[in-house]
Amino acid sequence: MNLIYPYRHYMVSILLIILITIVSQVFKLQLGLINIALIHLIPVIVIALHGNMKSTFMVTLSTVLIFDLLHVPPEKSFDVHDLSYIWSFIIFFIVGYTISSQAKRIQTNAIKEIFLNTLSHDLKTPLSSILGNASLLLQEKMNDPHVRREVLIQINDSSQRMNRLVANLLDSARLQDTQSALRKEWCDFEDIVGVALQEFRYNPKQSQIEITIDPELRLFWGDCALLVRLIVNLIDNALKYTDEGKAIRLTITETGKKIKVLCFNESYPIKKADLKNMFDRFYRLEHSADIRGSGIGLSICRDIVSAHNGEIEAYNVQKGVCFEITFPVAKSPVSGLKDLL
Amino acid sequence: MKAQELILIIEDDQAISKMLSLSLHQHGFKTLLAADIKSAVRLIHTNSPDLIILDLGLPDGDGKGLIKKVRAELSVPIIVVSARHEEKEVIASLDAGADDYVMKPFSIDELLARVRSAQRRFLGLQPNVNVILCHEITLDIEHHLVAKKGEPLKLTPTEFNLLKYFILHRNQVLPYSRILKEIWGVGYQNEMQYLRTYINTLRKKIETDVARPTYIHTEMGIGYRFTCDIAYQE
Repeated sequence: MNLIYPYRHYMVSILLIILITIVSQVFKLQLGLINIALIHLIPVIVIALHGNMKSTFMVTLSTVLIFDLLHVPPEKSFDVHDLSYIWSFIIFFIVGYTISSQAKRIQTNAIKEIFLNTLSHDLKTPLSSILGNASLLLQEKMNDPHVRREVLIQINDSSQRMNRLVANLLDSARLQDTQSALRKEWCDFEDIVGVALQEFRYNPKQSQIEITIDPELRLFWGDCALLVRLIVNLIDNALKYTDEGKAIRLTITETGKKIKVLCFNESYPIKKADLKNMFDRFYRLEHSADIRGSGIGLSICRDIVSAHNGEIEAYNVQKGVCFEITFPVAKSPVSGLKDLL
Repeated sequence: MKAQELILIIEDDQAISKMLSLSLHQHGFKTLLAADIKSAVRLIHTNSPDLIILDLGLPDGDGKGLIKKVRAELSVPIIVVSARHEEKEVIASLDAGADDYVMKPFSIDELLARVRSAQRRFLGLQPNVNVILCHEITLDIEHHLVAKKGEPLKLTPTEFNLLKYFILHRNQVLPYSRILKEIWGVGYQNEMQYLRTYINTLRKKIETDVARPTYIHTEMGIGYRFTCDIAYQE
């Protein structure tokens, strides 16, 4: 099923083309060449509506070829005697291109709208917490130092959350750009985890995080800042879904030509469908979530991982959930460096 | 008792400059505010501040130019404030002569720590000595010895030089290229993998938990900082 899915446009268009060919062969005399030509526009339009330029082009090309082969005299050959048919073919491509680009524009607008809705929701939640708590502090009868401290912790927590969201958005924008936006250098995962943990130094659950890093782990050629963000998002996610006192384990190992990052947290199992979909941007939207945060964190994880040609998946294990990331080691640091030590 | 130290804050955002001057006042500093480079230059000449906090994102021009100008005329510590994703600007400012940096959003504790360590460095409170104690680590420069909690540590010559460089420049941000040039020499400024590898092995020897380091802190995209609050000299 998953194998066919990326090619579903082609499957649909092949079926359509077969159907149209049958219809136009059977009713050849009744329809006449002009109507047959118009019928052949149907698959082009249907596919163009998906807004995928490549599949539109492929379908237009194959429809034109079949139309030429079966209906344009001389039939059963690709020869074209009357040059005016060349114009028909060009018109096919223009129709396909125009509809496709329009469809694409509509799609981007829809994505933008979801994006803005989620964003404003996710920014407003911590912001209202900050505003509410700050106005509480401004009230004169606020004297209890314990309550004050509690309120301040809330403000700090919400600000951190907003800060993380903004950082994620900036990185996300950078990833949307192009491959060239990656700033690759030699990264030490130990270093990266250390920096990521810094972000949670005031989190009371921070001490629950258990870190194991293969001491023989080699340097990895990647964008260190983005890898920090990846680990931050994984830990942030684990902290959100783990109750106090429960375990969170981050393990990084190297096997052969692969570096494996495992992030386990003790929690209830996740539904099978969710395991796949939660890396999609704004997936959380449909579940109008009970837990703070946007659906953007895990989708950025996926983007960061695929920018490094790696893979990310989530699965249930005994007593918890595990996120597994594998990075191929494309480039090794100069060997023999250890000998210099 | 010495007169209150004067800090010049060069920042165009009012909310930030107000917060900075409020908290600096609370910690016993006097402050001056400048919203752009032009008025900053004027205030520097008329008031000769003891420390400068400079936001890199000013409306009227380049902070690096100002840093160079100040460096040419005065000996005063400069701490730059920068936004995220501006690591290159920070490194350029450090190369131009700035002493330290904080990245927005920063906490006041962080800024105050930077201010204090910059002051200490400038006042020359770090006399030349041969034995330095940093928390649990003792560095004996003359005899080439390092110990943690009294237990001697086996370091390679490069590791020793790296640690020595760190401890002599403790609490100070050290850009990658500066460390590489200092330890490996000119021409090695871009050999990041040397530095990463040696930091990794040095951490394994001196840190208790390498994932939560207490000595060698990574300043992502900029460099390293060796943290050491109590340093006794013998």
